[in-house]
Amino acid sequence: MMLQAITLVVAQAIVLLAISPFLVGLIRKVKARFQCRRGAGVFQPYADLAKLFRKQPVISTTTSWIFTATPYILFASTLSAGLLVPTFISQTPMNFAGNIIALVYLLALGTFFLILAGLDAGSAFGGMGSSREAIVASLTEPAMILSIFAIALTAGSTNLSTIVHKTALMEGIVTDPSPHLMALAALCIVALAETGRVPVDNPATHLELTMIHEAMVLEYSGRYLALVEWAAGLKLAVFLTLIANVFAPWGIATTLTPAAMGIGLVTYILKIAGLAMLIGTLECMFAKLRLFRVTDLLGVAFILALLGLVFFYILRG
Amino acid sequence: MSLFSIDVGSQLVDLGSALLLLTCFAIVAQRRLSACVDLFVLQSVFLALTASLVAFLTGIHHIYVAAALTIVVKAVIIPRILKQVIEHVNVKRELEMNVNVPTGLLICGALVILAFFITQPIIPLGFLLTRDSLAIALAIVLIGFFMMIARKKAVTQVIGFLVMENGLFLGATAAAYGMPLIVELGVFFDLLVGTLIIGIYSHRLQDAFDSVDTSKLTTLKE
Repeated sequence: MMLQAITLVVAQAIVLLAISPFLVGLIRKVKARFQCRRGAGVFQPYADLAKLFRKQPVISTTTSWIFTATPYILFASTLSAGLLVPTFISQTPMNFAGNIIALVYLLALGTFFLILAGLDAGSAFGGMGSSREAIVASLTEPAMILSIFAIALTAGSTNLSTIVHKTALMEGIVTDPSPHLMALAALCIVALAETGRVPVDNPATHLELTMIHEAMVLEYSGRYLALVEWAAGLKLAVFLTLIANVFAPWGIATTLTPAAMGIGLVTYILKIAGLAMLIGTLECMFAKLRLFRVTDLLGVAFILALLGLVFFYILRG
Repeated sequence: MSLFSIDVGSQLVDLGSALLLLTCFAIVAQRRLSACVDLFVLQSVFLALTASLVAFLTGIHHIYVAAALTIVVKAVIIPRILKQVIEHVNVKRELEMNVNVPTGLLICGALVILAFFITQPIIPLGFLLTRDSLAIALAIVLIGFFMMIARKKAVTQVIGFLVMENGLFLGATAAAYGMPLIVELGVFFDLLVGTLIIGIYSHRLQDAFDSVDTSKLTTLKE
């Protein structure tokens, strides 16, 4: 039993780690096709990571231990957050370790250290990126927490595995569609903002003045940069998994038979690849918002999440 | 009527009202005037769909007529008048507001909760399948009212007024399966004439002040 649980945790970690560069590559590929370019292959990010891991990092002499510790903290916290989310089996073995609130704050821990690291090197761009990331993070957090609470209320639990399991089996949940719809819309906006995507941030930008996430990590190189990039991919994978499995858990393995797990794995990969392609499409349809308009968008996300909560009470009659 | 159960029908009505409220928030967050009009059209279409659904579930036919009138008046004629006004006054977006967008959204969120608390004691007394929508209808009326206070341009104030009317229509459908048809007809006629008058008034405002900012009207005092 113990061995099985450990195997499943390791399997989930491998799936998440393996799929996240693919998602990044897929989004880039979709964008390239929309812009009439051929673009790099979807497996290019793996080659990039491999190359970065072999390179020697250069570290500024003005930095403290925070700068070198941050990539490890960021990577570890994002991966542990990923282990709390059900991927291809609905009952993750790690579900005893934390609920949705733990997930939100594990992700916030990584963001916090990244903000510190951006300030640590003392470059103007890093500090600017940190200050912007702090704005975005502080505005997305309430929206994310509220939207997740709306979902937790419909399932009667804050444990992600329980929520996904109940929703997949369609039992013991409130089936009213309105709270789910509002929370889904809010969580999608939060996901775009948190993973540094258009319309909040542009991951492909070369202009430092418009950067948020990229500005914070400008000073990183070599294996540190590889870890930061991989963690960013992981964060994207965690958010897509969360959206896919909380709102559309169909196909996920609710039992531990090999056949169910196989189906679960295939549908999981299809679902998040579909979401990644959707993000790529959206990035081609919308322009990046001005920084001072980001508050409007995140305000909408917060209100949507709040409405999800209110609707849960109103519409139960 | 037996196509789906009353329970599912009731949930669909709830979903329709939720979408109506959602478009309200989109209008509050929107700065471009023509996009505000488009969102209002969308809201009216949702309203007509919700009303038709109620008519279908209850078999009360005059709600169909009101829904059709909603489409004709609020989704075709009034938007056309408003677009003409926008073109004439040559104002594309609203930059200055009495309340900025994030604060406005928060206030509207508070209004929804307020509406919920006001209607909470009344709702369980009802026995109609649409009774849950009453809270949302009241919230839409309050948000429309807020729009009229928060915005300065005459066009967006008209949209606030129209949003209020949408809320009232939903409220009437939710609380009593719609008003008598003669009342609905009167309301639609009033709306049409009201929008026309405000349209002409915006033209005059533009000609007199080179702006449709209603706060400029305070300079009229002696």
